[in-house]
Amino acid sequence: MLTKELAIFDFNGLRIVPDRLVRKRHARYLEYAAGMCDAYGTGIGMTRRELHLAVHRIFDAEADCPPARIDAFCKLLDEERVARYQTDRAGKAAALRQKVCRLAAPCHPLVDERTVLFEHAEKETKEEIARQLGRASWEEVERELFADVFEFNRLLSFEGYDSPEALLARYNVAQVQAALFNATRLTVHAGTDFRRIVTHAKLARLLHTITLAQRGGRRNVYTIVLDGPASVLRETRRYGASMAKFLPALVSCTDWRMRAELMIGRIRRPFFLEISSADGLHSPMPPQEEFDTSVEEHFARKWGGRRRKGWLMRREGGILEHGQTVMVPDFVFHHKDGRMAWLEIVGFWTPEYLQAKVEKLKLFNEEPIIVAVAEGVARGFHYASDNVMFYKKALRLDAVQDALERVARKSVAGHATGS
Amino acid sequence: MYMVWCMNDAAGKLVIRFDRGTLVLEGMTRDAAAATLAGGYWTWDARAGVLRCDALHYDDAVRALHDAVPSPAGAAAPWPEVIWPRVQLPPLREDQAAALDAWMRTRRGVVVMPTGTGKTEVALRIMHALSVPTLVVAPVRDLMYQWHQRIADRLGYDAGIIGDNIFNKRPVSVTTYDSACIHMQEFGGEFALLVFDECHHLPGPVRADAARMSIAPWRLGLTATPERSDGRETVLDELIGPVVHRYTLAAARGRVLAEYDVVRIPVYLAPGEQAQYNECSFLIRHHMAERRKAAPGFTAIDLHKESGASPESRKVIQALRIKQSIEDRAREKLRVLEDLFRLHHGTRTLVFTGTNVMAREVSVRFLVPCLLHHCRKKERKDILDGLRQGVYPAIVANQVLDEGVDIPEAKVAVVLGGLASVKQAKQRLGRILRKTGAERAILYEVVCAETREAMRSRQRRRSDAYEGTRHIRL
Repeated sequence: MLTKELAIFDFNGLRIVPDRLVRKRHARYLEYAAGMCDAYGTGIGMTRRELHLAVHRIFDAEADCPPARIDAFCKLLDEERVARYQTDRAGKAAALRQKVCRLAAPCHPLVDERTVLFEHAEKETKEEIARQLGRASWEEVERELFADVFEFNRLLSFEGYDSPEALLARYNVAQVQAALFNATRLTVHAGTDFRRIVTHAKLARLLHTITLAQRGGRRNVYTIVLDGPASVLRETRRYGASMAKFLPALVSCTDWRMRAELMIGRIRRPFFLEISSADGLHSPMPPQEEFDTSVEEHFARKWGGRRRKGWLMRREGGILEHGQTVMVPDFVFHHKDGRMAWLEIVGFWTPEYLQAKVEKLKLFNEEPIIVAVAEGVARGFHYASDNVMFYKKALRLDAVQDALERVARKSVAGHATGS
Repeated sequence: MYMVWCMNDAAGKLVIRFDRGTLVLEGMTRDAAAATLAGGYWTWDARAGVLRCDALHYDDAVRALHDAVPSPAGAAAPWPEVIWPRVQLPPLREDQAAALDAWMRTRRGVVVMPTGTGKTEVALRIMHALSVPTLVVAPVRDLMYQWHQRIADRLGYDAGIIGDNIFNKRPVSVTTYDSACIHMQEFGGEFALLVFDECHHLPGPVRADAARMSIAPWRLGLTATPERSDGRETVLDELIGPVVHRYTLAAARGRVLAEYDVVRIPVYLAPGEQAQYNECSFLIRHHMAERRKAAPGFTAIDLHKESGASPESRKVIQALRIKQSIEDRAREKLRVLEDLFRLHHGTRTLVFTGTNVMAREVSVRFLVPCLLHHCRKKERKDILDGLRQGVYPAIVANQVLDEGVDIPEAKVAVVLGGLASVKQAKQRLGRILRKTGAERAILYEVVCAETREAMRSRQRRRSDAYEGTRHIRL
């Protein structure tokens, strides 16, 4: 991702328009992109600073190019998944500096021209130190002296982008991400890819509120509002980075539109940014982020990706609908023999919340849903059903397996099961 | 999400849980809460059906609930006690003891003490007195490591480190502001005492989360300069507490700190440098004049705005940067530095530069170690120990030494360019003004004559840290 400083966007009233390179207006950029990839491809062994200079030079004559755009390209070319730089984990450069400075210390100060009092001239002393270190010349020593400094890191390999277009596509998504660093809330209207979108929002650890916005024959539209725990206390950009991280996943889905509320600087005005799947942004599907430590994530990690006693667990759960009420259980399980069941985890909340949850579960009481309830709230959870199981701190795998055998049913054709 | 407080009242169980930097109150309906809790900080969160507030309010919230709910049973779990393996705390000076007493009265607040007057010792005393899980937050990783070292030296405790790509959390840990504001939402329920070193770094919309997202009832802020140019220091009252003790630099001078002189040395650009400098100046003046013909009131800000669409203005911006770089790295500065090294041969000398590039240039020219942000723990220790033991005659640094980094007392400091903020001047002086005997310290300021740098130097001297000092021209 880019950093905040590299974000470029325009204002159109209250609308934020992130910088975007388009075929028509920026035809020359395809050439530049090829040139940049080439500079890196042929620049193995060069320092980061030299490579960045080379990139800057490509744009020398270009009229339409804010400096931040060039810096943003450098940042994208340096990204870990495409470029690998030499690192100095062992601290070789630091050790060399220490040796050099210790050898030079008795000769301090190194003077331009020797005098009676100060007899250590810079040039001779340096050559002498190089000799003592067993090097051919001082230049050789100096070249390695700061090899561990970020801008002097040398490029080891460059995987590059599949095509110049791919780099430009990455740039366009990266600029939307950079604008989203300022986001306080996202509202996504999702159609066919609703499940994947919710799953990725969960993985980005954003809080989500879902409503069924519009019922269609073959396609329902859901409204998903995404923010974080502290969002209810104040407008905060704290979750902007998570929202930016979530964007590539959203972009790789279809049939959605999104509106972000943004806070720019300390200006108290409701800025916003809108994009949709029709905007032609492209991104490869990002790998699933590492799980956090909540009960759900802990359980998901423990269960893993393989079949346990025939049961396969997936996080992209199904959608259950009843009127305007939508429920997205945390997990869905499928057995080899065609049976399936859902798992919903109920954490520690208020009586009101639990009551709402119970009401919701009653609507879906025909469904094979296992409800895992934290023991601490069992008292407030009045839902008589064989499908309820209790847990203390973490869900036990064998307990869930037993419940699955008890609750699961053959999946009904035409049912949204997420498979 | 875990429980931090729990009690049973007649109606059932009330629980406060820590949820990613916020507190969630369970067991009380919205209506009941409205009736019993007058405090303005709880907010109804319809998304989850709970009451929510910043973790910061933990202490108040628990107290308010105890008052509001008749005959409660149960209470907050007590904080686990921290055992210090080997305590070696030196006696405090009078002013340090006053700071300690002032803070202990409320256990929440900011102590204002100049750099070099032993803020750290006061903080270590407080940590020892409370012996509870403690998180120390420092501005940069250098200082984080330094705290780690001091806690090991004085209290014999191997503190955890969170930052610099290390995540090793222990009951007593050190971290940086950047790491704290990212991770506090995970571990904000685990520390009872927060120590914010150089706490003027804390205000800021997201950074403040480092304080807001913790339940710690006890908070100590340390700073030499609580005032911020954006005036946000009032936020500290809420995040940490009010200023409980103030010790000014003027009072410290001559008592704890040494007398010092400021000597300003103007340098002139070499002919080649001057020619390039003039060329850049001409280019800039010409461009600005041209643009002002079309747009009166055209400023440098407009220039930056235009740069996206005009290679010409990009060249002008580049010229501005070249000018700055010429000022920063004027060759004459290295020659003056050579003279100063000769003059103070045998005296420990600190050199400050305006940029990392210049710091490395000085380092390579004189082969003295440079202490920069990229230096890891081991190298940093070698440089500072080496300077203390006299292995290294001098060191050069950029901003790393601006704040609180504990360096051996030095009598001579040289500033080769730098920024003009009041804070920086104070902190830089603090570096060299360690009291040892009656010897006076000297601060040399080497600036390019008749350039913007000279203007910055004038501004720097306005700070009260420089008041009443002698100015000599070499």
